[in-house]
Amino acid sequence: MFRNYIKIAFRNIWKNKVFFLINIIGLSIGLSSAFVIGAMIYYDFTFDKFHKDGERIYRVVTDTKGPDQEGHFRGVPVPLGNALKAEVSGIENVSTFFITHFNTIRIDATGKDFKNPEDIIFAETGYFEVFEYDWLAGSAKNILDGPNEVVITEKRAATYFPNTSAQEVLGKTVTYNDSIIVKITGIVANFKERSDFTFQEFVSRKTAKNTDMNYGVYNESWEGMSSSTQVFIKAKEKANLESLKGYLIGLAKEHENKKVVARGYITTYGLQPLAELHMNDDYAVFDSTRHRADDTVLLGLSLIALFLLILGCINFINLNTAQATKRAKEIGIRKTLGSSKSQLVYQFLGETLFLTSTAAIVSIFFASGLFRLFSEFMPPDIGLALFRNPILIFCTIVLVILITIFSGFYPALVLSQFKPVLVLKNQILPGNDKGSLRKYLTIFQFVIAQIFIIATLLVGRQINYMMTKDMGIKTKSVAYIGTPYHIHSEVKRQRFAKMIEALPEIQEVSLAGGPPASNNYAGRSLTYFAEGKQINIQLQLLNGDKNYLNLYGIKLLAGRKPLNDSIREYVVNETGMKLLGFENPQDIIGQTVKADDKNIPIVGVMEDFNQRSLRSKIDPLAFVGGNQNGTVHFSFRTDDTKNWPNAIGKIEDAWKSIYPEDDFKVQFMDDTIKQFYEQERKTSVLLTWATGLAIAISCLGLLGLVIHTTERRTKEIGIRKILGATLAQLNLLLCKEFLILVGIAFVIAAPIAWWGMNNWLQDFAYKTELSWWVFVLSGVAMLLIALVIISIRTIAAANRNPVKSLRTE
Amino acid sequence: MLLQLNGIFKWVQQGGQRVFLLKDINLEVEEGEFISIMGPSGSGKSTLLNVIGMLDDFDEGEYNFLDEPVHQLKEKHRANLYKQYIGFVFQAYHLIDELTVYENLEMPLLYKKLKGSERKAMVADMLDRFGIVGKKDLFPTQLSGGQQQLVGVARALISKPKLILADEPTGNLNSKQSNEIMELFKELNDDGVTIIQATHNEKNAAYGKRTLNLLDGRKV
Repeated sequence: MFRNYIKIAFRNIWKNKVFFLINIIGLSIGLSSAFVIGAMIYYDFTFDKFHKDGERIYRVVTDTKGPDQEGHFRGVPVPLGNALKAEVSGIENVSTFFITHFNTIRIDATGKDFKNPEDIIFAETGYFEVFEYDWLAGSAKNILDGPNEVVITEKRAATYFPNTSAQEVLGKTVTYNDSIIVKITGIVANFKERSDFTFQEFVSRKTAKNTDMNYGVYNESWEGMSSSTQVFIKAKEKANLESLKGYLIGLAKEHENKKVVARGYITTYGLQPLAELHMNDDYAVFDSTRHRADDTVLLGLSLIALFLLILGCINFINLNTAQATKRAKEIGIRKTLGSSKSQLVYQFLGETLFLTSTAAIVSIFFASGLFRLFSEFMPPDIGLALFRNPILIFCTIVLVILITIFSGFYPALVLSQFKPVLVLKNQILPGNDKGSLRKYLTIFQFVIAQIFIIATLLVGRQINYMMTKDMGIKTKSVAYIGTPYHIHSEVKRQRFAKMIEALPEIQEVSLAGGPPASNNYAGRSLTYFAEGKQINIQLQLLNGDKNYLNLYGIKLLAGRKPLNDSIREYVVNETGMKLLGFENPQDIIGQTVKADDKNIPIVGVMEDFNQRSLRSKIDPLAFVGGNQNGTVHFSFRTDDTKNWPNAIGKIEDAWKSIYPEDDFKVQFMDDTIKQFYEQERKTSVLLTWATGLAIAISCLGLLGLVIHTTERRTKEIGIRKILGATLAQLNLLLCKEFLILVGIAFVIAAPIAWWGMNNWLQDFAYKTELSWWVFVLSGVAMLLIALVIISIRTIAAANRNPVKSLRTE
Repeated sequence: MLLQLNGIFKWVQQGGQRVFLLKDINLEVEEGEFISIMGPSGSGKSTLLNVIGMLDDFDEGEYNFLDEPVHQLKEKHRANLYKQYIGFVFQAYHLIDELTVYENLEMPLLYKKLKGSERKAMVADMLDRFGIVGKKDLFPTQLSGGQQQLVGVARALISKPKLILADEPTGNLNSKQSNEIMELFKELNDDGVTIIQATHNEKNAAYGKRTLNLLDGRKV
């Protein structure tokens, strides 16, 4: 029986190769995107799942509640860790560690230097009590108890001491920043599984005592906190979490800052379970720039995968029900020969299973291509290799079975429903097949495709708008270089600036703080006492010398620039001026504001410009002649762009002569601005792909239906032709029914897309309009694509010699 | 007695009116009979055959097949009954185009869940008996009409039915092929198989031992 089914299935596929291909391609596109996205989701959900007693490990985090906003912060005050150690009832271990950075590490045995070693923390014994490592040399007992100790991982050991066994590495010394000599007292294996704990060097906390880092690591104040201060606890088994949380809230209350509380801000400490570390967007893991899971992105991706899968399934349902009449005879015969309805359903489901399995195999190849295409969206270790995991294999099998049932059940039901008497008397005529479900499904497909098209166009337009909108500052032909932050010499900076200024290709040079537009924010709150009232505002500060405003083309509306670097004088922007209650730039000149108990005069007003991405509004800002000018800004002469590379070469030479130890990195202002919209550009690339794939699947399905219809109507076409219909008339006749479906899809898609895009644009302070013509354009584009696809077939059908088609009937 | 029809009525609603396809049909068939049902197109021959073959329902009356009341049986039960005792031969042969001659013959046996070796033997026997061993790997479209109908009859016989229902079995054949098929039916009948055929060809009808004339769904 089974062999018989397989034979029938194969011979049917062979007879309907085109339909088979359409089905396979459609399903495998959907499946491969599901694979890729599934792998991404699986990847993000399997971080740090392996730790011993992981369900008892928590990170202590800071939450603040203000009058109008909530804040979440991953750092805590330094003394908190020790305060928790005192609370013994519910806590087994406490680990306080500090993420830190050294400029160099020297291996004393070889004298070899390594620059900017990454992933270093100051830790104590507690770290290795909370997190269990495999010790290759040394042991967790009393480790890092004394000063000048370090534990390194196997990987680091291999970098620093190639071809040396762990036992031999033990006891060697290394020197950080040329001055801190530490001894290696332990070597641990790296975690084998996915983990956010990628630290490689664990320096004992006491080491920091004798260095300039003492302040950060042994700070006794409860007031300030840094995101690099991390406290993890391991709760006791059966510990009462509620009382633990209560204790933390009590601690926060005990050490609260009365001034802050008076302004309406309440600070509390909370426990973040280890399992939520990777997925929680509020706190980020340890470092905001690393890859971390973003659940909205994952949700969006899952939706895309789901839609593509549904589109593939719809093709299958449509083509199989359309083709049903072709198989009607077989079904009739099988039924008269004694097949039951359920046997037929199983037969057709089996065929579907075969098809989806084939599609699954094909999609493995597609998926490997997709993994490569989207490599910039995912961490490098996501790939097909993940699918060796039994859980993912199981999920894949479940998915294939689900798709089989979803796409195969309805056609199987339709097919098995045929009454043998009617079939065998040829009373199920192909012409009776109305297929209204098919129409709805086709409309659904095109609604999805249409929404994707509109979204892609609008996202692209928004990006283009943001990239080209005048931000109020000069962005072309301006670049900047940050001098090494560990070299504080003002003289060197001045000399470097002078050397750049001397180059003929350079127009202007300014020694300043950061660029006028960046993701950084340094601000302060200040108070202005007007008649009878007091205005508090938060003001962003921008440091620079007297050339800065000129270099970036920022115009003064009134007043003057700060006289020199040592006097604190503010040049505020228009927004700041208005917030302080002035309408006319002239009026604010000479007023003083109070910041940090100092009176600072306002000497000028400058034009507004966007100091961050166009997602945010213009904030109040003041330009100050600063004393923290670590960045050299310069503008090129615009008349000879071809000499720029040459000039950059000379600047690099200058850099090497002054900062021979450090890496040279020029940043152009327009690149900086481009980076603001990284997220949007990624969205756009993804959307473009999703759109392309959705259109491809839908059009394949449409092609299949057109082939079916033209076959069904061969006789009608023949008769009409004999009666004098022209090619154009016939084509119109055949296209009409499909174009109407695409048209209906547009009517449904447009408002949904409008609503969705309107929501998306709310994130931007500056946005393009949702112009009607974008919608019309995308609708027309969809119609044209559909028309081309349909015409491929209809023209051929209309061209056929009617005598032939009528004779074969 | 093989089967018995008592007062069978079948109708369809057309524009608010009942159009009768079968009207008060009474029929008793003994085992070993060869009955020809005659009548012009639309007289209800095929409908009657379908009712007897349990492929079609009727609206009124009683039908007993081997003393089982068909009109009271559930569909599954009914299917088992015809699967076991009835073989069909169609005017348009109705072979499955995607299967070879061999596989077409094998199919009814698959639905009776016979073992592989048994099926092989029965199919080989049939191919031998009908002299189509050489054609067993061909597809139906590669055969002439007469040969296709031969396969059709062989398929109807393979599950050793008590009753063969043949609806215009020679309708698509030329006179030589037609004679061969009718001779075959006669032989089968001589071997004890009950046959009911629908035809409007006098000559073919003459092969039957008894003739039933229908007009507008009524026995005449």
